Amino acid sequence: MDTTVYRPADPAPAGPPAVRARSLRKTYGTGEAAVHALDGVDVDFERGHFTAIMGPSGSGKSTLMHLLAGLDTASSGHAFIGDTEVTGLNDNALTQLRRDRVGFVFQSFNLLPMFTAEQNITLPVELANGKVDRAWFDTLVRTLGLEARLSHRPSELSGGQQQRVAIARALIAGPEVVFADEPTGNLDSRSGAEVLSFLRRSVRELGRTIIMVTHDPTAAAYADRVVLIADGRIAGDITDPTPESVLAGLDALRTLEAPGADGSAPTTSQAVRA
Amino acid sequence: MFRLTLAQMRRSIGRLVAAGVAIVIGTAFVTATLIAGNVMTQTTNDSIAAQFADADLVVSAPDDLTASEVDALRSVPGVDAVDAVQFMYLDLSHGAKRVFQLGVPAPSDPRFEALEVVEGSMPTGPGQVSLPTAVAERLGVGIGDTVTGSRNVWDESAPDGGDYEEVRDELTVVGTTDDPYGAYAQMGGAVVVTADDVAAWQAAQAMPDEPERTYSAAMVGLAPGTDLETARAALVAASPDQAAAVTPDEHAQSQARKMTGDQDVFTYVILGFAAVALLVAALVIANTFQVLVAQRTRTLALLRAVGANRSQLARSVLTEATILGVLASVAGILLGGLLTQVALLVARGADLGVPIPATITVTPAVVLVPLLVGTLVTVVASFAPARAATRVAPLEALRPADAPSLSRGGGRVRLVVASLLTLGGLAVLGGGIWLGGTGSPEIGLLAGVAGGAVSFVGVLVGAVYWLPGVVSFVGRLLAGTGSTARLATANTLRNPRRTTATSTALLIGVTLVAMMSTGAASARTSLDAALDDQYPVDVLVATDAYGSTGDAVPDDVVRAVSGTEGVSRVVELSGATVTLLDGAEMTMHGVDPEQARGVVRTPDVLAAFAPGTVMVPEADAESWDVAEGDRLELTGPDGATLEVTAHLGAIGNGWLLDADDAKTLDPDAVVSRLWVGLDDTGDATQVVPAIQDAIVSSDTPVEVAGIAVERAAMQSVIDTILGVIVGLLAVAVVIALIGVANTLSLSVIERRRESATLRAIGLSRGQLRWMLAIEGMLIAGVGAVLGIVLGVLYGWAGAATALSVMGDVSLAVPWRDVALVLVVALVAGLVASVVPGRTAARTSPVAALAVD
Repeated sequence: MDTTVYRPADPAPAGPPAVRARSLRKTYGTGEAAVHALDGVDVDFERGHFTAIMGPSGSGKSTLMHLLAGLDTASSGHAFIGDTEVTGLNDNALTQLRRDRVGFVFQSFNLLPMFTAEQNITLPVELANGKVDRAWFDTLVRTLGLEARLSHRPSELSGGQQQRVAIARALIAGPEVVFADEPTGNLDSRSGAEVLSFLRRSVRELGRTIIMVTHDPTAAAYADRVVLIADGRIAGDITDPTPESVLAGLDALRTLEAPGADGSAPTTSQAVRA
Repeated sequence: MFRLTLAQMRRSIGRLVAAGVAIVIGTAFVTATLIAGNVMTQTTNDSIAAQFADADLVVSAPDDLTASEVDALRSVPGVDAVDAVQFMYLDLSHGAKRVFQLGVPAPSDPRFEALEVVEGSMPTGPGQVSLPTAVAERLGVGIGDTVTGSRNVWDESAPDGGDYEEVRDELTVVGTTDDPYGAYAQMGGAVVVTADDVAAWQAAQAMPDEPERTYSAAMVGLAPGTDLETARAALVAASPDQAAAVTPDEHAQSQARKMTGDQDVFTYVILGFAAVALLVAALVIANTFQVLVAQRTRTLALLRAVGANRSQLARSVLTEATILGVLASVAGILLGGLLTQVALLVARGADLGVPIPATITVTPAVVLVPLLVGTLVTVVASFAPARAATRVAPLEALRPADAPSLSRGGGRVRLVVASLLTLGGLAVLGGGIWLGGTGSPEIGLLAGVAGGAVSFVGVLVGAVYWLPGVVSFVGRLLAGTGSTARLATANTLRNPRRTTATSTALLIGVTLVAMMSTGAASARTSLDAALDDQYPVDVLVATDAYGSTGDAVPDDVVRAVSGTEGVSRVVELSGATVTLLDGAEMTMHGVDPEQARGVVRTPDVLAAFAPGTVMVPEADAESWDVAEGDRLELTGPDGATLEVTAHLGAIGNGWLLDADDAKTLDPDAVVSRLWVGLDDTGDATQVVPAIQDAIVSSDTPVEVAGIAVERAAMQSVIDTILGVIVGLLAVAVVIALIGVANTLSLSVIERRRESATLRAIGLSRGQLRWMLAIEGMLIAGVGAVLGIVLGVLYGWAGAATALSVMGDVSLAVPWRDVALVLVVALVAGLVASVVPGRTAARTSPVAALAVD
């Protein structure tokens, strides 16, 4: 039996990047109908940072995250988490990777309705047959303000509370990196701001690495760095963003695009979503 | 709206088909039962009609016809030949082989010949007989051989105003016959003797004050060119009041209608099992529709938002159910018809001796009843889901689709109703057991069945309150094995209603199967004791079966019997003629007490048997004024006397003495009986004929009474009935297992995003499949275990009620059957999870990120 005790990884702001992409490419369809959701992406995400991936609908930001997290297979190129090449791992190795080294936060929270908040938080460790590190659990619960909510089921929690439970679940196993997909997409602006503050605190105070996909400039402004993506390529990089600087960056993307390209964008977005 | 319903059905086609299979099986069951009932009726009709061969008309009267009334028919104009219909059972033997066979008179006209001569001829003179080929083979005789007919004749000269006396006739076999139309197939064939012999034997059998012999019908043959209707009217006119003259076919139909009462009961009983299967199917259907509606919540809400009203939505669901019900019922009818047709072909190929129709007869009832029942069951089962559809608020179209949430159990009214039914039913059941124990088993059984049924309905209705608790309890036991088991348990409990319905569907079938096999097991152990009392000796070989002291059983016969395979021991009994003090003379049998105890099945009865004692049958104690411990003085034929102590209890109806005591009283006593013990009474049907074959060459007439055969026959009857019942109930279990698979695949579809989330946070594919396997086994296993527990209890209740008249009831648990049912349920739960598990495992974790 695996009795590994899960501890938070040591915060290490310097050193090799937590996540890397090299010439990462994802193509749907073939020949004439081929759509390049990702068209040769090279990008590094530093350890101990909160990075936002931004871009308009259909830009390929979600696809990039799926490939980096090993949820989807790349057409070519390589993605790494730490020193492990994610592209090319089989399903069991990927499951192991997700258990130990990666956490997820979803737009629709995706908590299990039949479990309490506490059971939801500890589930990843239990799936891996591990032991919950109570000290780390208490730290997470305190940081996320969930002390009074642990015995509640998801249906008895507000959206913001549910997302905070989801963040705790993503962090419980002490992953090297947490991927968050539009974590504020289903929340009102106050709860959204609260959740973003917690994400930022977990990076600053708990030394986590978080990569967040969003299309909301205000949300992106909580990050340490914003990677802009358009038409499947890296289109910009903003360090220490503010809502204004992010908006300016996005505006710059739009002016780059050909006026006629707007009309085809929704079609592309459909294809990528599917 | 109808187009929309069809479009929705197309989208859910897979699920509807899975649910439809339940209805298909149920209606196929009903169809096959109805067709089989028709085939049996037709076979009976045909074989009755065949007895009248080519007779033109059959005359019958409510009070039967006297000989003179039959004779009167002969003088009716246009009538060529008249034969009265008569039967007589004949006791025929050849050596040690013996048959008890229906006898009919040789017909006076070839038109009345139902049997065909294979070899030789029909009897033409007194003392001649024609045997069915099979009977001739069994007796080991051919044409020219003689067989012995035994019959009882009223002897008026006997003391006490007359008594029956046995008369033996030597009959010459003149022919062998075949029964091509199965006229007597159901009676095992008919022996033909001359009409004069039949009349003479029947007259000799009758007591002097018996009313005149009558005949149930007379066959009439008409002269060529005679008008049927004219003759019919003339015959009726010449017959007593209320007489009828009908064609053989018409007569057969009216006779069959009187006779087939039993067959109708049989059909109704089987239809009862079909009803159980359909009830289970209804649960499966209701479950499926419930989930379909839940899945379509957003679509339904959208329809409401754009103007559909509640009744339109309910109608849409009901229309869907109707279409499914009709299609599935039609498929079931075709399947049922096909199966019975195949069964008919197989039965014809197997040559059962009964003429079986080549094709099934499809009457309107065969098609309409299953169609109506199948459709009705489906529609009724969809009532609750249809109501659920009307409760969908238009607002729900606007909400984001949440993961399926937990649903509540049942309401308070249901709880009260369920409790009342359960407790009331149990009270009546208890009363039934009490009545059964106090000597009114019929009323007790009636009360027991009613109480049992009512309490079972209560248990089923109330299952939603306690069954999830049992699942949770079992789940907690499993939770120790890891988080996968805990997830599976939590999943089964998230929708208690659905889990309950699925589990209940299985519980019904399993309860009934367990009840039947428990009842049969209890009956078997209880009957074993009763059979031991009734049939204490396996096989009796005797020369004195007809009351005389008998000749000595030849040594070669003793050797032949001992040497027969399957015979474990042979004990010799000598018949001594003994006179009691009051002058009454009787035959007592001398046997070694030790050996006697060794061969009988109830040695306790002979516990007191020893030299210097006589064993007196309890039935004789009162008439001979003998009590336990009395001293009796016995006198032998030569005047030798012996004083013995009487003990009550005997084997069969004979008095027993110690072998040496018997020799002392009657030095001429010879071995006239053998008690034969078998290795295994289950083999009696083979061993007893083997014994008969072994001693056939003996010149001394030897009687072989295969008591063990009756014992084996009784046991095989119980086993056969149980096998058939369990087989019929198995259909319900199969349907329920389809329900388990259905529920699991629906859960998988509902929980697509949740499965993906679990995969994303570290659940491996194997764990996901295992989780569903545990869910399947949990639902099926709990249903099976509860079913077994309930079934065993009901089975005991039934056995206690029905069998207590026979004395002590021993309650047995059929462990082997119980284990088998449980294993089948668990394996089926596991198998049911395979396909859904594969679907779920294919789900990419990316699906967790999808918003919808």
